[in-house]
Amino acid sequence: MKNIVLLILLLAVTLLNVGCSSMGVEPWDRDVLAKAEMQLTTDPLEAATDDHIYFSKEASSGGRGFGGGGCGCN
Amino acid sequence: MSKENRKSISATLATATCALLGNAMTLPVQAQEEPDWDFNTSFLYYGEDADRVQDLSVSVLARRTFYDDKFLTLGLTVDSLTGATPNGGIHQGVAQTFTTASGNNVYTAPANTQPLDSEFLDTRVALSGSWQQPLGRLSQFNVGVSASKEYDYLHLGVNAKISRDFNQRNTTVSAGLAFSADSIDAVGGAPVPLTSMRDVGDLSNRLGEQDKDVVDVVLGVTQVISKNLLVQLNYSYSDSSGYLNDPYKIVSLVDGVTGDVVPRIPTPGVDGPSHEYVFESRPDQRTKHSVYGQAKYYMSGKVLDASYRYMTDDWDIDSHTVDLRYRWPMGDSRYIEPHLRFYTQTDANFYQVGIADGAPLPAYASNDYRLGNFDAITVGLKYGWTTKNGNDMSTRLEFYQQSGSIPADKLIGNQVGQVQYPDLNAIIFQFSYRFGG
Repeated sequence: MKNIVLLILLLAVTLLNVGCSSMGVEPWDRDVLAKAEMQLTTDPLEAATDDHIYFSKEASSGGRGFGGGGCGCN
Repeated sequence: MSKENRKSISATLATATCALLGNAMTLPVQAQEEPDWDFNTSFLYYGEDADRVQDLSVSVLARRTFYDDKFLTLGLTVDSLTGATPNGGIHQGVAQTFTTASGNNVYTAPANTQPLDSEFLDTRVALSGSWQQPLGRLSQFNVGVSASKEYDYLHLGVNAKISRDFNQRNTTVSAGLAFSADSIDAVGGAPVPLTSMRDVGDLSNRLGEQDKDVVDVVLGVTQVISKNLLVQLNYSYSDSSGYLNDPYKIVSLVDGVTGDVVPRIPTPGVDGPSHEYVFESRPDQRTKHSVYGQAKYYMSGKVLDASYRYMTDDWDIDSHTVDLRYRWPMGDSRYIEPHLRFYTQTDANFYQVGIADGAPLPAYASNDYRLGNFDAITVGLKYGWTTKNGNDMSTRLEFYQQSGSIPADKLIGNQVGQVQYPDLNAIIFQFSYRFGG
């Protein structure tokens, strides 16, 4: 099972890399992407708060980053 | 003004000019962020209905910027938790009495209510620190530590992440690894799984401190698609081993026909549980896999942030999470941001309402509602603004609701007519202030 997951992952990353090389923008076209509201995590404290709440109340965690935890709440 | 004074002023000016020029000469040629601190602070209230968990939390995240794109980040969170939490017992037509976790006392849940343990009271202090720096021209390296302490729980963790840009920095590939070593020092001692809840003063089925280790791996790709669109795709693997029980949760022993909890013969002269309960039992190993995708799309000032996560684990829990945020500017310095989140999970293969009395005990059993089959929705609104000094403030109010259902084949007799999975409703209020930098 683990080997299959690893294989799929490697394949996905390779395909993405090949496919992605034709995408993107020139460095001078990055004004919008450089805006604070276009960052993947705009508010790190809010993101950490949400991760902690949902980790405590649901059986899932992580995804955006590490699985979290560090509390006796789950 | 005297001559001497004039001399000293011109001397001071000359010194100042030289100092400025001198400094200008030593400044790096490239434009860089000035070394400085900036602070993210927040106050959070999280409150569940029906006198369940309330949390007041204060957080500070301080970031120091250095030359050469190096950052030091330090975090502190203090939580104060109070309220009652479901103990795993089931609804009954009669009142039920339980021994407290400490083993020193008893508490009673009225008839036809979800039994709650009201002794829940804790303070949690969490600290974190991380260091980020470039590694060559295209790579970044980040190492961090984390620690948190509650009355009955200690967490210690380390993590590291490396990322590299490709394709004119339009593609970023990252890999992260985290390890945590936690220890659980349950009130009254962690109970031996599946042993009975005992009388007051009887701690003969309690164990000492327990350990839990968690290894997390995250592999990710971030891709710029166009001037207005950015996407991220992550795969995460998480392996937990050791003591994975909730030491305070029980499972009721029920009559195989009526589904009612089996009454217990009281010990004369000693307080104790009114019915037969056993402490829950979970496997000592859990492996989770998740795939997470996020897209950020800019539409003439408005930003859509959409993400999806699929998680599956070897306890047979599968979950789907969709999170949508839409940032809507109102003039130059204000915005509103509606937030919607949908979550659904299937139950763990050992999740059960009660254990039929007389049959052999299963290896694993838990009636923890968080391992059940439920859907959840969050609806929220955030309002943010920039102050005259250029600092950011925001406030958000959200409502969270969980609605569970128990498959008919897991209910016995009278359990069918009782509410065995009451809804959980919570309010989330957060105020944030960002300054410095």
